[in-house]
Amino acid sequence: MAKIYEDLSQLIKRSRLTLIIFSLLLFLILAFYWKIQILDHQKYWKMAEANRLRSLPLPAPRGLIYDRQRIILADNQPSFKVSLLRESIKNDSQTIERVSQLLNLKTEELKARIDRYRWLQTYGPVIIKDNLKLEEVALIEARREEFPELQLQVEPRRYYPFETTAAHVLGYLQEVSPEEMKGNPHKKWRGGEMIGKAAVEKQYDDYLTGQDGQLLETVDSLGRSLGEVNRIEPIKGQDLVLSIDLDLQKKAEGLLEGKEGAIIVLDSRSGECLAWVSSPSYDPNRFITRFSPEEWLSIINDPARPLENRVIRGQYSPGSIFKVVTALTSLETGLITDRTAFFCSGSINLYGKDFACWFKPGHGLLSLPEALKNSCNIYFYQLGRRLNVDTIARYARTLGLGQITGVDMPGEKEGLIPSSDWKKKTQGEAWYPGETISVAIGQGPVLVTPLQVAALTACLANRGIRVKPRVTRLEGKMGPVKDKTGINPETFEKIIEGMWRSVNDGGTGHGAYQPGFDICGKTGSTQVISREKAERMIKRGEEPAKTHSWFTGFAPRYQPQVVVTVLVEFGGMGGQTAAPIAGEMFKLYREKYVRQTNLQGN
Amino acid sequence: MLDRRIFKEIDWTTILLMVVISVIGIIFVHSAIYSQSSKYVWKQSVWLLVSLLALLILLVIDYKVLLSFAFPFYILMNLILAGLLIFGKPVANTRSWLVFGPFQFQPSELTKVAVILLLARLFSDYKEDQMSFKAFFLSSALVGLPFVLIALQPDLGTALTLVPVLLGTYILAGLPRRYLVVILIVSCLVGFIGWNYGLKDYQKKRIETLLVPDQDPRGAGYQLKQSRIALGSGGLTGKGYHKGTQSQLRFLPARHNDFILAVIGEDLGFLGILAVFLIYFIFLFRLFSAVQVSPDRGGVYIAFLSAMLIGCQFMINIMMIVGLFPITGIPIPFLSYGGSSLLTNFLIAGLVINVKMRRFAYIRF
Repeated sequence: MAKIYEDLSQLIKRSRLTLIIFSLLLFLILAFYWKIQILDHQKYWKMAEANRLRSLPLPAPRGLIYDRQRIILADNQPSFKVSLLRESIKNDSQTIERVSQLLNLKTEELKARIDRYRWLQTYGPVIIKDNLKLEEVALIEARREEFPELQLQVEPRRYYPFETTAAHVLGYLQEVSPEEMKGNPHKKWRGGEMIGKAAVEKQYDDYLTGQDGQLLETVDSLGRSLGEVNRIEPIKGQDLVLSIDLDLQKKAEGLLEGKEGAIIVLDSRSGECLAWVSSPSYDPNRFITRFSPEEWLSIINDPARPLENRVIRGQYSPGSIFKVVTALTSLETGLITDRTAFFCSGSINLYGKDFACWFKPGHGLLSLPEALKNSCNIYFYQLGRRLNVDTIARYARTLGLGQITGVDMPGEKEGLIPSSDWKKKTQGEAWYPGETISVAIGQGPVLVTPLQVAALTACLANRGIRVKPRVTRLEGKMGPVKDKTGINPETFEKIIEGMWRSVNDGGTGHGAYQPGFDICGKTGSTQVISREKAERMIKRGEEPAKTHSWFTGFAPRYQPQVVVTVLVEFGGMGGQTAAPIAGEMFKLYREKYVRQTNLQGN
Repeated sequence: MLDRRIFKEIDWTTILLMVVISVIGIIFVHSAIYSQSSKYVWKQSVWLLVSLLALLILLVIDYKVLLSFAFPFYILMNLILAGLLIFGKPVANTRSWLVFGPFQFQPSELTKVAVILLLARLFSDYKEDQMSFKAFFLSSALVGLPFVLIALQPDLGTALTLVPVLLGTYILAGLPRRYLVVILIVSCLVGFIGWNYGLKDYQKKRIETLLVPDQDPRGAGYQLKQSRIALGSGGLTGKGYHKGTQSQLRFLPARHNDFILAVIGEDLGFLGILAVFLIYFIFLFRLFSAVQVSPDRGGVYIAFLSAMLIGCQFMINIMMIVGLFPITGIPIPFLSYGGSSLLTNFLIAGLVINVKMRRFAYIRF
């Protein structure tokens, strides 16, 4: 018999080898499955959970802001908004096209908006339109099936019922910017969330912001909800009570109507601000609306700068108000007593130059209280030529000038108190004595904010105890932040005597006089342009630009309660414009808060 | 002519393994697409019965007879494929379906059987130790023709399953090293031309995705990512039958066919995967071992090429769903949903069993 079987051993060998390679490969692949399923199990399990569950934020209402009488200044209103869930988007450009048509938005704007938040994780919703009209809500609701990527939510929206009133205290909300989000990852802001961008809304943003809740729901791969799994209710932000008195605030705003300037009414005992006006004002409600860059630009580009918080950010020359600092320095250093007298002839020649008193005929011989009452320049020139600028600067700083007051508001400016060091540093020149006499009457490079002047006045009223201004009510047992200057209270009495005469004895501040209320005050008028320029303008027959008008004062003289500081830009002489406004404020304060004294006084 | 004794030699174990794998497949098709599963389960069950019947009919016919019809069968299949390209109506953008009432059939699947038989027929008389250039060229060209016809449908995945058959031929016939150089040059050339002119964007994307899986999680990388999440979240013991969230919430794409193993891995965990691999390994081992008992050269080729075809498809699929191979749309034989491929795989395995049961054919009493 021939071979029954062919010799197939070669083929069988090759087949066996193939099977061995197969087995080895299979074993290696199994090892890879081991890695994925056992070693990386945790990682993939988390990813599967994220796939299955979607968490949506439930926005927490912001805390309300009240005035001291518990009148709501910043409220919340329900508002519908629609967000885009990008993880549900299949085709970017097509979806954007359709959504912008549905919501009547510009395609490019919507696209730009989504691109701004592209760096966020895809499950974070991006708010694309809010404050929807009811018809729009109905439209989206009706076409829910077609637009699984759109999400409707009711969100409490900030509302300021008094519009422009106290806007500079309240501040406003604006959308958080991508930069801010990247800078503060711990705050967990959502794309397009509204956060406080100015004043109290910014300062107390964390306090006012509640804790967002969370809605967990199962979704399918198209992002459509299959049901709620868990719901964590949002926690409302804490309410905030301001020290502002709405009546005083409204009155003060009315007095500055059409003018640019600032008014502060401050409780000298606690530092609480009862009125805080920066004029002109703006309507913070306008910032809530998204998608209106034109409006935003129009506010920013307004030459009257309504957004500027003049109370803490306006830096002005203090003018004659600074004379109280010069007087205090002179008394404390023993240069003069309150009986030291100088003669005012209407002008004086110092360092080879003529200097005039504002009262051309001259005040004659006068002592310190009279000099303060009449705000005599010559008297303070005489002090200035005998004082060192660094000594004045030291006392000015002790009284709180040239530094922030520490009020609970963001963006406060420091002002400027010049010294010889300062001049060397900034201009590289030595200070020369002729400049000191300008500083002595509050001219020269001295700069103060209205709030610094109010704080200084409170320090005078408290006979040397500084109090930190604040715009919120003190709560619980927390007392006001006070700080002793270490200056002898007797010294203050001598200055207060001059300030009392200024208002009550026919001085420059008599415009603030209120019968039955012992007001002590000081006026100031600051030249906005240099003296030389003003004189040249007069020679040419032009009317020189008006001066800024100041008044600051407190009342009553003994056991003082309230400080009023008024600044009117280009208001002319302090006594003419600012003092009567301050008088009105004192009057209203007295009617509201000092009724008994009122009865006795009449 | 029919010897009844050969029926005692039918490898029932292998057939049982095939049925077991197919039933596991149906069970998990049910898990994967619960909402519309009754239709799918019913259809696949019918296909399973049809396949079993076809297998038994195939076993009756001696494989040597089948080999003698290999040429006409091969030519017929190529004509059908060419006809489909010219006259076929596109279904889901491909011209790969023949529709008979409620059942659709892919001729490309049956073409695999034709190619195996043709190559076995061709090499049954080839007794050289090493492959001649003529044999090399001829076998490559004969696989190349249906490959191109199927790839043009376009169904690159199915076309690619023909490659293991050709590879098996090279291995068995003994490919000289110098031809490897030719293969390398040709595949580079084809790769270059194919990449620039042949491949569709989505196909290129799939290959790119393999290299950088996370670059586009919503697009091509999405499937791979979701399948990995399904497997990885299954852990050791899985989330339980029908509890896999990835497949239940429809994150997993093609979960009833190409990615059915990911569903098993999610529901039953690594242990489930291990079990499937084990069953499959035994099955493949039995197919390969048929080579050793085959009575002749033609039988060896049939057994080896069939084992290669099924084995490589399995390997490619299990590598594909974890990202070790580009996502090419190659289902797991027996396990994945799909009627034509189930029938074809039964027939191909049937060829092996056919050879095995006739191993004693030369001994007559």
